[in-house]
Amino acid sequence: MNALGTLLLFPGGLALLLVALLAEWISRKLLARLQNRVGPRWFQPLADTVKLLAKEEVIPEGVHRVLFEFLPVLSLAAVLTAALAVPLFGVVPATSYAGDLIVTVYLLSLLTLCTSLAGLITDDRYAAMGGLRVLSQLFSYEAPFLLALLGPAVAAESWQITRITAHAGSNVWMLFTQPVGFVVAVIGLMGKLELSPFDAPEAHTEIVAGSLTEYSGRGLALFRLSRNVALVVGLTLVAALYLGGVSDPLAFAVKTLALLLVITTVQALFARLRIDQTIGLWWHYGVLLALGQWFLILIGKGAA
Amino acid sequence: MTAMKIEQAWNNALAGVALWARTNSPWVLHFNTGSCNGCDIELLAALTPRYDAERLGVKLQASPRQADILICTGPVTRQARDRLLRIYEQMPEPRFVIALGSCALSCGVFHDCYNVVGPLDRFIPVDVYVPGCPPRPEAIIYGVIELLKKLHPVDVILEGGSA
Ligand code: SF4
Repeated sequence: MNALGTLLLFPGGLALLLVALLAEWISRKLLARLQNRVGPRWFQPLADTVKLLAKEEVIPEGVHRVLFEFLPVLSLAAVLTAALAVPLFGVVPATSYAGDLIVTVYLLSLLTLCTSLAGLITDDRYAAMGGLRVLSQLFSYEAPFLLALLGPAVAAESWQITRITAHAGSNVWMLFTQPVGFVVAVIGLMGKLELSPFDAPEAHTEIVAGSLTEYSGRGLALFRLSRNVALVVGLTLVAALYLGGVSDPLAFAVKTLALLLVITTVQALFARLRIDQTIGLWWHYGVLLALGQWFLILIGKGAA
Repeated sequence: MTAMKIEQAWNNALAGVALWARTNSPWVLHFNTGSCNGCDIELLAALTPRYDAERLGVKLQASPRQADILICTGPVTRQARDRLLRIYEQMPEPRFVIALGSCALSCGVFHDCYNVVGPLDRFIPVDVYVPGCPPRPEAIIYGVIELLKKLHPVDVILEGGSA
């Protein structure tokens, strides 16, 4: 019973979905305020989702029907599973095992893969283009993002999220000991969520709506929801690893919100990068920075 | 008997929720059927920070599959007719259409042009007409709100958030 509650109500399932919608609202509202607008009302993401769920779902000609309907469900399932191992809202995660950091990161990548495949299975050339861009972007930010998240893991000498957060909680914030890793992790998270300036995969002015061009109704709603959940999971992960653990739920919520503020501000500051610029940026600077950070940590560990 | 009543109440509640969501999240798609670009500029102005249609939930979508409201500007030209029908048919139900500007209403200054095949409502059903050459952004937003009011028996759209 208790386990079921954890899965369906708090901190997994329902609470997570509501917080994900709230996070979308906060981000959109902040963006609007930064652009000198009033911005959406607080229930806007909920209304969008419900409306999409109540709309007709068009299955276009020439797609693999089963895959077309299954991909959104799979991506939502993947991010909800990823949420099980991270300390959402600062409470103890539902599961914890050696190596869950890697599993979480790859479950988050499953969302990206599903998005890409969603574009590639249709006949639509815009969607196919979007799908390809999603994939090329995935290959560019994935390695640096993973390296940046492994920095704290190496420092804590464990691959288990709870151990790393415990280590982070009892030491100086890793933001200060590994500043480069933090920057790479935050920017990598933005790449993962396809937020501007890394929104080339869904560039409205170029390729309609990217890989989700053919999705309407329920499928689109599920994809949007999973992206919001991924936002919350990613923020939680980075905040827990880099901003000093999860000892105090209230302080943790503030830290996560602050991180969301940073991400939204970066979003408002920069224009979209071309896909080749994105890849160049990550492989020229992101990977090198993350690797350099890693060597420094290893040397520090060896010296200590 | 009671089971039927409960089912009906449940369906009513569901319909109410769907209506609430629909009236609060109108995503628009803009299609130029042959406009002189005047109306298009005004429509874009209505989406800029000054008027900020996002406070009503209005969002410009790029894909017909994801839009609820099709906003058409200009008279329908021979070239645009087939595309117009195709875009309209690509939109998922429920879908609505707003005709923007005198040209979409009656062909305006392009009346009787050799390449113009008629006003918008000759080809697809139109829900709201916004006159003007071109209509001001306020008029466009007003048109969207009139459309949302039409969906709703009671006038509750603007109460949700004065923001
Ligand atoms: S109504 Fe006026 S502004 Fe609009 S398309 Fe016609 S001529 Fe141009």
